[in-house]
Amino acid sequence: MSGAERRDTGDVAIEAAEKTFPGSKPGKPWKLAGGAVHDSWAIDTVTPDGVTHELVVRVTPAGRVDYEKTQREAEVLRIAYERGVRCPKPFGTGLCATGEDYVVMNRVRGDTNPRLLLTTPEYAEARRLIIPQLAEDLAIVHSITPAEAATAPGMRGPTTGEDPLSYACMTTEMAYRADLLNPHPGIEWAFRWLRREVEALKEEGREPCLVHGDFRIGNLMFDEGGVTALIDWEGTHIGEPEEDLTWFLTRVWRFSQPQLEAGGIVHREEWVRAYEVASGRPVDRRRVAAWEVLQNIRWCQITMMQARAHLDGKTVSHELAAIGRRFGETELEVLRLTGLVERVRNAG
Amino acid sequence: MQDRPTAHELLDALQSFMRDRQNAARDRWEKFQFQVAANSLGIILRELESEDDFMRQEWEGLDRLVGAEPIPDRQAAFTARLLERNANLCERIRNGEFDDAEKDMALQRHIFETVVNKVKIASPKELPA
Repeated sequence: MSGAERRDTGDVAIEAAEKTFPGSKPGKPWKLAGGAVHDSWAIDTVTPDGVTHELVVRVTPAGRVDYEKTQREAEVLRIAYERGVRCPKPFGTGLCATGEDYVVMNRVRGDTNPRLLLTTPEYAEARRLIIPQLAEDLAIVHSITPAEAATAPGMRGPTTGEDPLSYACMTTEMAYRADLLNPHPGIEWAFRWLRREVEALKEEGREPCLVHGDFRIGNLMFDEGGVTALIDWEGTHIGEPEEDLTWFLTRVWRFSQPQLEAGGIVHREEWVRAYEVASGRPVDRRRVAAWEVLQNIRWCQITMMQARAHLDGKTVSHELAAIGRRFGETELEVLRLTGLVERVRNAG
Repeated sequence: MQDRPTAHELLDALQSFMRDRQNAARDRWEKFQFQVAANSLGIILRELESEDDFMRQEWEGLDRLVGAEPIPDRQAAFTARLLERNANLCERIRNGEFDDAEKDMALQRHIFETVVNKVKIASPKELPA
């Protein structure tokens, strides 16, 4: 698709504000720093009663739309917001005649740049506050049962009684094979290692719950007082708490602080303990270790999926293409976490 | 033979351009785009420099693991066959052919060396200390 044929997603944001607040007058939208897939726009619209609504409209460009997914995300956001999770309040979703879709939310104050949060003195206090706050929010999310989230369309997850780790291992491997661009003996070896762990850890009757699904340091908003909102719920599904806990630990999201496993803020153990305190629920460390390997493999798969979106011509983007080359560093992290790197070095 | 500037020199020039644009960017989005572009050019430069050696090392590693075979003369055939050999190795791992402790250790060593070589090109800052 050439740039000339593509509709400006800022125009979609205007259309979305008009449709969600009928009779309102939207101002000029401005683009927010966003992800590789969506465009996010800030926009204000004034309803006939004179009230100004400060909004964020997240637009999926034509060709990459999955409208059920957008609706699912908005519904889960509504449930989470009502439970008291720090997150944006959703106002509505829509599908445009020109092929884009959108979700309209209230505009939460705060910054999203993880580098500022992790490195500047301005946010030293926020760094101290944020770990217990995030643990608190996650504990609420994970208290939501599959039945309570059933109004969200197309929620994927394990069936009742199925071990959530075992289920995630299977679905991740399927996605990995479907997106494969070239063979990786390292990941094949890691899958074999992981299957042995999963078999040893298998448990019947673990209660599945709602998970955020993309819980990481880049998907939150913050100010000097800590977290103001968990954002980007598009990966939400049914799983188990360890899944969100360990996605937060993946190396790729530590930015300039790789020695601090939990989001570049604290060490792994401090993060898991904060969650245990907030949720009142003990967490099995060996299970966390297996999940961490799986989550890094999942990131490997995502790098291929992103590169594929470019290679298939769906979204021509040098940024998406470049993500494909982050496979190796993530594969290396997988090898580290399984103990392979240490074993090879000790063997000399 | 091509005239100068060499491919390497042209890429260097492009990379300087991207870095300049990155520093003069009007917003965070634009800054990030030029940063990614400069990084990609860095990958290409390092790959031009080292990938021939790395492919040979990988080939020799496979020779030790699954039996030797001669390197094809033509570059395209070499690349295609290396890809096939890797796919074949993956299949053998899946089938449990390396589950024996000694074979497993040899495999782990080969995997470590090849992955480190990928990271040397794609993200050298992530190399193990």
